[in-house]
Amino acid sequence: MPPFHSLPIARRRFVQGLAIGGAVAGFAPALLARSVAASAGELRGTEFDLEIAELPVNFTGKRRVATAVNGAVPAPVLRLREGDSVTLRVRNSLKEMSSIHWHGIILPAEMDGVPGISFAGIAPGETFTYRFEVRQAGTYWYHAHTLAEQTGLYGAIVVEPKVPSGPAPDRDYSILLSDWSDEPPLQIFMNLKKLSSYYNFAQPTAGDFLKDVGTMGLGKALERRRMWNTSRMNPTDYSDISAATYTYLMNGTPPAGNWTAIAAPGERVRLRFIGAGTATFFDVRIPGVELTIVSADGLPVVPVAVEEFRIGPGETYDVEFTMPDGNARTIFAQSIDRTGFARGTIAPAPGMAAPVPPLDVRPWLDPVDMMGAMTTMGEMGGEHAGHGMVEMPPKARHARTEYGANTDMRVDYPRANLDDPGAGLRGRAWRVLTLADLRTPGGDPDPREPEREIELHLTGNMERFVWSLDGIKLNDSQPLHFKPNERLRITLVNDTMMSHPMHLHGMWSDVEGPDGAFQVRKHTVVVQPAQRVSFRVTADAMGRWAFHCHLLYHMAAGMFREVVVA
Amino acid sequence: MIRIARLRTAPFAIGMFLSIAMASPAFAQEAFPTPPAVSQAEQTPPPEQHVHPAPQAQDHAGMDMPGMDMSGTGTTMDMGRMQGGKAPPDARDSDDYSDGYRNSTLPGYEMADKLSIPKILVDELEFVSGNEGQGVGWTVLVTKGQDNDKLWLRSQGLKNSRDRLDAESSVEALWWHSKSPFWGTLLGVRQDLGKGATTWLAAGVEGLAPYWFDVQLTAYVGDDGRVAARAKAAYEVLFTNRLILTPQVETNLYSKRSTDRELGSGFSNVELSGRLRYEFSRKFAPYVGFVWERALGGTADFRRADREIVTERRVVVGLRLWW
Repeated sequence: MPPFHSLPIARRRFVQGLAIGGAVAGFAPALLARSVAASAGELRGTEFDLEIAELPVNFTGKRRVATAVNGAVPAPVLRLREGDSVTLRVRNSLKEMSSIHWHGIILPAEMDGVPGISFAGIAPGETFTYRFEVRQAGTYWYHAHTLAEQTGLYGAIVVEPKVPSGPAPDRDYSILLSDWSDEPPLQIFMNLKKLSSYYNFAQPTAGDFLKDVGTMGLGKALERRRMWNTSRMNPTDYSDISAATYTYLMNGTPPAGNWTAIAAPGERVRLRFIGAGTATFFDVRIPGVELTIVSADGLPVVPVAVEEFRIGPGETYDVEFTMPDGNARTIFAQSIDRTGFARGTIAPAPGMAAPVPPLDVRPWLDPVDMMGAMTTMGEMGGEHAGHGMVEMPPKARHARTEYGANTDMRVDYPRANLDDPGAGLRGRAWRVLTLADLRTPGGDPDPREPEREIELHLTGNMERFVWSLDGIKLNDSQPLHFKPNERLRITLVNDTMMSHPMHLHGMWSDVEGPDGAFQVRKHTVVVQPAQRVSFRVTADAMGRWAFHCHLLYHMAAGMFREVVVA
Repeated sequence: MIRIARLRTAPFAIGMFLSIAMASPAFAQEAFPTPPAVSQAEQTPPPEQHVHPAPQAQDHAGMDMPGMDMSGTGTTMDMGRMQGGKAPPDARDSDDYSDGYRNSTLPGYEMADKLSIPKILVDELEFVSGNEGQGVGWTVLVTKGQDNDKLWLRSQGLKNSRDRLDAESSVEALWWHSKSPFWGTLLGVRQDLGKGATTWLAAGVEGLAPYWFDVQLTAYVGDDGRVAARAKAAYEVLFTNRLILTPQVETNLYSKRSTDRELGSGFSNVELSGRLRYEFSRKFAPYVGFVWERALGGTADFRRADREIVTERRVVVGLRLWW
């Protein structure tokens, strides 16, 4: 067994899972090789037969039932080729309706796999045939557009370009980061609805208060809490769900299982990271290795070298590096709330391991995560007060429906800067990726100026676990109407204290910089607390589409709108 | 506390307000005293301040750590704007984006935001031992409904070994409606339990006040013409994320005496309690606690006449459960 850092025994078991977790059949030692051979469970071609079925698994020492595709969790990697027309026959062998959504793939609306919007879902025993032409290359993924996304129905899609843009790397692995719970997803949802802090065991305590009184004095200790206590907000609310129930997986393997990729010294490696957490942002790094981000959400970006990046549910990032030497390196992906981690190894040979970094301490959210630009305006006011030079960030335009019971806070002056790695990553001694670093080479794919703007606010009531857009839950909402082929701007303002990965189906999200110029093309746009992010959309995909927060339980709770292009 | 006044539940709220005022110092010494600034925070500043925020920005000038220190008064006022308030007349209408289109009607649509969720909270189920003998006490809340409207079944009571139900033992059936992000209104009936039981119409508010005080205020009109009120407030002190102390205060108020229930007019009692629970899981937490209850006014006279003790001290051991 590889060395672990010094967690208490009971907790170590919980956080790290079983060494040979996964499909129960995986207990057969011969199948352990599965975690080494990355190509196992990979399907190629243009015709695919996929079967969704229950699979007994054991990730934590308890036998549970997962949702598998062709007997695998995660589902098999699909290797497609740009330009191919593919046919995917998906049979649902579950006892309930299911679906597969091809995340980030541009395709006809009825092939998008969202029950109730693209189609009626796949009934038990039925087979649905998806057919579409692959018009893009890069790293994508597929997953259930139901709660079965939590129980393992997710897999990587790698689309090889028709014309290779450069020499292929020596090693090419997809790394799918996800979160497993022994509790059924509906139970998790109910727990959160009944007690939103259910999984947060890091709330400020009386002891923390006394400690603060000791170090900063009573006045400052009270002051530090005032904003949070008057607003009834929790400064440790990074994630709805923690390692109290989650075991974090790398390619379906718990930390103790040490999923391993092979690379010899000097070899050029590409790792395709996929954020398949249902409720988890991961902060990823490989200590001692500089990572060059070469693509985001499947599409190339101007390469940028970082040592750590945050990946939200729905996002994908390809990173490249040269294996520096013959030592093993840990691929470390800690959850945003610092309660656990997914972990694997890249090494010249199987069975090697490197030290696993300790989990960071969870800091409190910063005031900027609630106040937006109001906090930084303080600095500006200090410098320029009285000189009339203070340039105000644009004021958010709140919807009438944000003044009701579903919206527990509103940010009047959201921050528009994108160069913030986010709470918990600020002040790192090393370089961390920010949204401002991501640039699509070649400029705006559709240089038309947006003709109009739709402003939508990401809203919630954290205490009651109600999530919405503009204070309106999906089933109380009207759809967003896009006119065919129009170029429009969507401006999102996050009126909550959590980051939301917003995913528009069917069309690209062309993110603008703070200056309003095109910056990067994505399919999942993370909006940080009290932040404003705008993106342009070319409405070139007729039909009905989903637009939602990719945190599964936020989507379920109502942070979801239908889009109609007609 | 300020919020309570703002909710305009005034006719019956005065007594309750007093009780909360009595209660808060007791909580505050363990928790965080409410600074006067809270009242500012709760008031919606005039809209002109939206237009020229620069003076507020100056409040931050000269701070050691810009963006970290929240001591500027401007910041506090911003908080008031961030929550509550009324939509300005020119606020956006999100439905305008639909151009008349409606959501899809295909089967399989995501409906989880309309789930009607049942919750049973056995907040207190306890064995009671005190200078009035031994008994069993309970506080139970059953809720079922969607996010903004729920059925509430609320019951509390105490039965002691002399086979008598405490005068406040009752069951209520209420319609809960979310009035604001942290507050809901209650409307329904209360049925007393035991001898001389009255049936009451009930109206009230409940919610989470700034600084995390759980508050329940209910006014009643009885079928015997009496008017009554009950106020409860509780706070949770987290020693750890599992070891939690809940100080609580309750008081009851009646417009006229009831001989059957041995209640005088005016404030009938005040009860201060603390329960220390350990959450083995969120849903299962045994506790120990102490309750101090004093009968007041005419109610105290009834007790004296019965040669009962006016001030009760009770040790409680119980379970807090929910599912």
